[in-house]
Amino acid sequence: MSLPDAQVNKNREDTGIGAQVQRVGRFLSGMIMPNIGAFIAWGLITALFIPTGWVPNENLAELVGPMIVYLLPLLIGYTGGRMVHGQRGAVIGAIATVGVIVGAEVPMFLGAMLIGPLAAWVLKQVDTAIDGKVKPGFEMLIDNFTLGIIGAGIAILGKLTIGPVVSWFVDRAGNGVDFLVENGLLPLTSIFVEPAKVLFLNNAINHGVLSPLGVEQASNTGKSILFMVETNPGPGLGILLAFWLFGPRLVRATVPGAIVIHFFGGIHEIYFPYILMKPKMIIAAIAGGMTGLFVGVLMNNGLVAPPSPGSIFAYLTFTPPGGHIGMLLQVTLAAAVSFAVGAALLKFGRGEKAELTEEDVAAERAGAVS
Amino acid sequence: MPSIHGSEVKQVIIACDAGMGSSVMVASTMRAKLAKYGVEVIHSPVDEIPVEASVVLCHAGLAARAQSTAPNAVVMPFQVFMGDPAFVKLEKAISDGETLES
Repeated sequence: MSLPDAQVNKNREDTGIGAQVQRVGRFLSGMIMPNIGAFIAWGLITALFIPTGWVPNENLAELVGPMIVYLLPLLIGYTGGRMVHGQRGAVIGAIATVGVIVGAEVPMFLGAMLIGPLAAWVLKQVDTAIDGKVKPGFEMLIDNFTLGIIGAGIAILGKLTIGPVVSWFVDRAGNGVDFLVENGLLPLTSIFVEPAKVLFLNNAINHGVLSPLGVEQASNTGKSILFMVETNPGPGLGILLAFWLFGPRLVRATVPGAIVIHFFGGIHEIYFPYILMKPKMIIAAIAGGMTGLFVGVLMNNGLVAPPSPGSIFAYLTFTPPGGHIGMLLQVTLAAAVSFAVGAALLKFGRGEKAELTEEDVAAERAGAVS
Repeated sequence: MPSIHGSEVKQVIIACDAGMGSSVMVASTMRAKLAKYGVEVIHSPVDEIPVEASVVLCHAGLAARAQSTAPNAVVMPFQVFMGDPAFVKLEKAISDGETLES
């Protein structure tokens, strides 16, 4: 196994920076992803009962506000704290998050992602500093009061300073997003998003950045197109279809199953290896993503909650009334364009070196065994 | 270089970035394949692989993180999520008693 070993080591060095970026992204998305069930509960209630929903109901719509203002940020701050300092970190993360919630006028997702881990980190430093110095029998008293006192302090700090500052920042970020949408620049984000996705930064980008901004926007306007930047299942579908019809013969058999898992199951990871196998196919993904966003901006599309996983079923569920034709066009045209570009790219490749393609794949698969 | 003999494999960890999507999918197919050898298959976020893990399967793009989280585990990277040779190799090592290395 000498050659594969060398190859693995090389790969590990190459992914050094990549792994660091993935880690930072994982830290951000790790605060959101365990709580997606709560986002879906909020999204369903919103989609059904708000005045522009499917079955408007003033009484039940009262659930929407407290869920987005308190429940979701508290869960994020709690989870962020837990990632830094276990159960004690989780508790102080939640306390600190209340500070920024009350100190701001907009739902505090980014604030929670900031102050939850920060509060837990402060508590961790204090816990480490006094570890082993407490007299036997006083541990519980000290533990509870350090958490309570530091938590109260950070909640006050959050209310007075961090909440308003983050609030201001979220306003600016929201303006930035509006600027991108109004000037038709949103499709350009695909140039960055699609390649990053395939490098397994999909969750980092979507749940670390786009979901929190999208929820802020959706809480104001009822829907957000930011939920559709990374999650559109169209480009991946087009790429898989191109591989099915024009890809290397060896991988074609695996494609139909991958299509079901990708498009209906929403596990986009399943198509990344096909692109990594033929890196030029990323052009097809970008073209498809840009097309989708172009159609989305043109038709004023948006979803009411983050579709996670990015399955067509999640899309159908979270499209607001009257938006389904636009949404389906966005997904279908994205798939059509990425298929057309992908098919052209695969065909050109075969024309040049028809004999080599299958060997290439065989070699890559052999490399995978290491 | 961590290594393990196929007959000593009692548990296999399937890892992905969030531990919620692709790893769960791969884990359910591997579980079906490895159940007859009495091997437990669980899924995990790549940064939270248990320290006592002995065998980890994850996509090649995440292998470096997996190895640094679990330095003593044999990390077996795969390229595709269905029908990758790494899956076959693992099952064969367990059934025929071959040695696996990171």
